Amino acid sequence: MGSSSWSTDAYHARQAYQDSAGISSFDYHDHVTTRAPRHEWTVHPSLDPYGVTVRESRDSDAHPNSLAVSVLFDVTGSMGRVPRTLQTKLPDLFGLLLRRGYVADPQIMFGSIGDATCDQVPLQVGQFESGNELEDDLGNTLLEGGGGGQVTESYELAMYFMARHTAMDCLEKRGRRGYLFIIGDEKAYGAVKAREVREVIGDDLAEDIPFPTILAELRRKFEVYFILPTGSFHYRSDEVREFWEKHMGQNLILLDDLDAASETIALTVGLSEEAIDLDEGLKDLAEAGSDQADAVGKALRPLARGRGPVSTSSGIEELAGDGPGVDRL
Amino acid sequence: MNGRTGARAPEHAIVIDLGFGDAGKGVTVDLLCSRGGYGAVVRANGGAQAAHNVVAPDGRHHTFSQFGAGTLAPGDPVPTHLSRFVVVDPFALAAEARHLTCLGVPDPLSLVTVDRRALISTPWHAAANQTRERARGRDRHGSCGMGVGETMAYALDHPADAPTVGDCASPELLRRKLERLADRLASVLAGESEPVGVSSPGEAPSPVGAAEAAGPGATDTGRRSEPLPDPEECLAAYRAFAERVRLVDERYLPRLLDRAPVVFEGAQGVLLDEWHGFHPYTTWSTTTTVNPLALLAEAGHADGARRIGVTRTFATRHGAGPMVTENVLLTERLADRHNRTHPWQGGFRVGHLDLVALRYALEATGGVDSLVVTHADAPARLGRELHWCVGYELADGAPLRIAPGDSPDLARQARLAGLLTAARPVLEPVPGEVPTTVADALNLPLEAVFTGPTRDDAHLPVRRLPRVGAFPRRMPLARHRVA
Repeated sequence: MGSSSWSTDAYHARQAYQDSAGISSFDYHDHVTTRAPRHEWTVHPSLDPYGVTVRESRDSDAHPNSLAVSVLFDVTGSMGRVPRTLQTKLPDLFGLLLRRGYVADPQIMFGSIGDATCDQVPLQVGQFESGNELEDDLGNTLLEGGGGGQVTESYELAMYFMARHTAMDCLEKRGRRGYLFIIGDEKAYGAVKAREVREVIGDDLAEDIPFPTILAELRRKFEVYFILPTGSFHYRSDEVREFWEKHMGQNLILLDDLDAASETIALTVGLSEEAIDLDEGLKDLAEAGSDQADAVGKALRPLARGRGPVSTSSGIEELAGDGPGVDRL
Repeated sequence: MNGRTGARAPEHAIVIDLGFGDAGKGVTVDLLCSRGGYGAVVRANGGAQAAHNVVAPDGRHHTFSQFGAGTLAPGDPVPTHLSRFVVVDPFALAAEARHLTCLGVPDPLSLVTVDRRALISTPWHAAANQTRERARGRDRHGSCGMGVGETMAYALDHPADAPTVGDCASPELLRRKLERLADRLASVLAGESEPVGVSSPGEAPSPVGAAEAAGPGATDTGRRSEPLPDPEECLAAYRAFAERVRLVDERYLPRLLDRAPVVFEGAQGVLLDEWHGFHPYTTWSTTTTVNPLALLAEAGHADGARRIGVTRTFATRHGAGPMVTENVLLTERLADRHNRTHPWQGGFRVGHLDLVALRYALEATGGVDSLVVTHADAPARLGRELHWCVGYELADGAPLRIAPGDSPDLARQARLAGLLTAARPVLEPVPGEVPTTVADALNLPLEAVFTGPTRDDAHLPVRRLPRVGAFPRRMPLARHRVA
């Protein structure tokens, strides 16, 4: 006991907090990758999907009206920068959703996606959080930076987890689906493989599940969006864009500047919740001191018009997904 | 949480001080964390007035105040969680983080999570605290002058207006709360002391004498160290704190406890407990295992903790209040490197090991599971054998027995304080090695014995054979010997 020997001076405190901001806090990544050879890298226990019954988004006294918003990002090769970008922009995402009244009690979950065919850590999933705890999940993310180089990542495995291992009060109590944003630049595999599910998640599946089937199941719980960064390595591949256009319809968001990912997500939720129209949202952005309004506006213009990109194939049942503001269960 | 890859520690641990503080909770937590497997150090009482000195084997020294004492553990620092029971001082936290950076801890602030519901202590609280303590003149309570008690009292009287950690993220709300706080405490600063803690159970504590008028910024004998800071400057600093440090809600700690065992690092000591201490020389804080056990129970871990009590081989007290075994000679000989005379608390007092007080503390906290004894090198430093106190007697030679009350009763604790002030210790030489003898007397297994200031000075003594009865043929220890 005794007494603090530390200064309690406001000015120096502020300096200390500001000086120390912005230090990368991917502690776990730095720890693991500097101490172990790659084949020994493992998922942090807090993000390990194996054996998880459900990740829950629940109401609480402080957050009586919870709305689940999940963001899963590709952490392989060309996309490895995304979580770091997201981390610096986190306060914006929460701030935009809350301050502007887009959502009363957002609960945000982060996860990351690799390639189950060749990565040590193909899926990492955090918890639904109502505040800065999110940084825990980001801080524990392993940025494997691998991937198979075959223009395919295990998005379908992540979708399987979200479809079968989440439970949300917004849906169960209020019949409102959560939001799921996937940020990536490659295609999904054609089916959820029973073997991978067993190894990574621990469920005993009798047979593989075709990709369209798991996506349809997922959409019963979430309004699903795919954000495809146009500046990334694979964007020039029409194959990838066509794949997601076919499956996502207008819920494919083409984003020039990955740094605007948080703003894009916030505004998409705002639009879908019908809290704003796009121009109001972009004004909010500008007022919040963001210089991302152009990139976001360009990305969301098609969505706001309720008109998706022109699809190159038709007759797919879930072509158009569900339009914004529609709550079809 | 970071990726500590060690053996999982077996269970949650709760470290408390069985005296008046300063027994060595810091080194104990440092030792536990160096064994690995703990996911976090959790604070569950007190505030920035805690000062737990840890010296690492490489010579680095840090006085842990709000950071947990696992921060210097070898390998990775163990993260810190400040629970809702802690009174948080964001300014002191920043200064402490700076020093840890100087010691080579990378990005210390990223190791901290704080419960949004925790109260914050502000410069206004500290100023009011110092003014009141000054007004008590010779009847000081032994306060640290940091405003932790003032913060608790204000929150009891004005629950809706007490600034919290969560408020730091809402500058406008915090501004209103700070304005109200400054208005209400202005009368105290002007010397028209009003009683505090009126709504606390029992009676109005802290009888405050008429103060010498000490206006804001007064520079009388109490020497307010600095004028009250600019509210805008404070708001900016609180906001920077909220943006930089991870603030968490009620769901964080249960998950932390599910994930890995933690160490609860107590602050102050059981004999200063707000209800079991000797009123009014107490702290505004529950210093027993009650708070950690409550947090564990809320998270469904009611039965999973090892309670560890810490004591020195002699008694200490920093600040005013009864101390039956106080001894001038010991105070001189066993002077403390890290505990010097404090402008608010006064001198560091030393006395004989007090079995009576230790037993009182154990009863007050509902027992512990193991014992840590620090300063086992004191007899050597003293150059003579240590005594211990086996009983109290009053001036007329009548024995005085003390026991904790069954229910909170400050009047009773104040009477007890009076009796203890008049009591004399019954001293005897300690019959054997102090750590093992004390552990036997308290009927507790030893967790560790420290013969020096660092974790490397900790050991578990090999128990000598009982000196009575036949020599047993087969000793369990014999297995460790090579025949």
